[in-house]
Amino acid sequence: MSARLAALAAVVCLALAAGAARAQDRLVVFAAASLRNALDEAAAGYAGPRPAISYAGSSSLAKQIERGAPASLFISADRDWMNYLQKRGLLVPGTRRDLLGNRLVLIAPRNSTIKLTIRPGMPLLQALGGGRLALGNPYHVPAGMYARAALESLGVWESVKSRVAATENVRIALALVARDEAPLGVVYETDALVEPGVRIVGRFAASLHPPIVYPMALIKGAAPAARAFAAYLGGRRARAVFRKYGFTPLN
Amino acid sequence: MLLTPAELEVLGLSLKVAVTGAIASLPVALLLAYVLARAQFPGKILLDGIVHLPLVLPPVVIGYLLLVALGRNGLLGAWLAEHLGIVFAFRWTGAALAASVMGLPLAVRAMRQAIEGVDRRLEAAASTLGAPPAAVFVSVTLPLILPGLLNGMLLAFARSLGEFGATITFVSNIPGETQTLPLAIYSLTQVPGGDAQAMRLCLISIAISLSALVLSEIMLRRARRRAQGA
Repeated sequence: MSARLAALAAVVCLALAAGAARAQDRLVVFAAASLRNALDEAAAGYAGPRPAISYAGSSSLAKQIERGAPASLFISADRDWMNYLQKRGLLVPGTRRDLLGNRLVLIAPRNSTIKLTIRPGMPLLQALGGGRLALGNPYHVPAGMYARAALESLGVWESVKSRVAATENVRIALALVARDEAPLGVVYETDALVEPGVRIVGRFAASLHPPIVYPMALIKGAAPAARAFAAYLGGRRARAVFRKYGFTPLN
Repeated sequence: MLLTPAELEVLGLSLKVAVTGAIASLPVALLLAYVLARAQFPGKILLDGIVHLPLVLPPVVIGYLLLVALGRNGLLGAWLAEHLGIVFAFRWTGAALAASVMGLPLAVRAMRQAIEGVDRRLEAAASTLGAPPAAVFVSVTLPLILPGLLNGMLLAFARSLGEFGATITFVSNIPGETQTLPLAIYSLTQVPGGDAQAMRLCLISIAISLSALVLSEIMLRRARRRAQGA
């Protein structure tokens, strides 16, 4: 190999190293996919430096944080995934708080004529008419786990579980229904409210599933700016934005 | 077409990642191409297969292996972070690394073809005239394979721009840091009313990738014509 190429290789390696070593001072927020829109608007009203918000299923995000992703703040869509990180000692002690509450709804494409009353033993399988039931993965995505719990409470999970289209996060399930690819789906009420392509067929009673709570916490090694942003999200202005999108701000 | 600041950020990051990835893979690709083109040794078929693996493996496999090896808790990653302060996971440099791995087979193929097309008698002539092997490579081989070399990098660049699976697995989807064009499009498909924005990014994607492929084809033709003329 020529000296010139070796020199080029060395330069490239150095440049890579310099880039990689650059301090990560940017405020990175990992947030459950269902918070998109609401959190974007809340963050836009923040006076401090603009945070970079990465949305995905809470399960994906928690796993990435466990592997060292540079998130300063994590907002999960359920307690389980926050507990998962807490058990591994990845949260800044004393910074965890329940930020928001939400509800679960059954949705159909806007022009669908499906009528279904949510009650024990409801004919969900027949209503699907051979189509798929769109929901977050029922074994690790919070929205999917809530949906599975609700359908289990109603005694219909066994009959539809082979007809589920499981997605990586709840917003993909929402998109499947909005595009008329799935005749029915289970998402958060706040998701259905921001998507004009779907209509709410019915609401699940809160007693059918574990309480839907969005805990927020600082992650070990969080950027200093994270604390102020977390405080802002719990404050009056951000709460008004969350309420506008249908979330229930918690104390 | 006027781009919004957000689109410019995504585009700029994608180009940075793809260009860095292509340049970083150059020395490795050239070495591999040279060995595969010139050397005869037991296990050559195996090496050839390994080089081509990223072309046929599910990208998520590459991303996951990179994460396991180079993540902050990974064996190599922990060592690099502690001793050299180098962190790849969840950084744009990690995206560039994933891109360079995924583009490597295409780069090696193009460069190997170019090296195999070199008339060995020219190199032999230079050697006879007293040039040491390194000088022969730089003054005879390199100029002859330059079109193939550039073509290989261009293909690696084009492949890098499209990298999705390995990237999202290895470095997540962080706006401004690791959210390249494909990841931004993927995110927009999950936003109600995001279709128009997603489509704009799709068109940008198509424009860049098509330009790279056309450029690569033009370079190939020119090189072929030159070879025939010589």
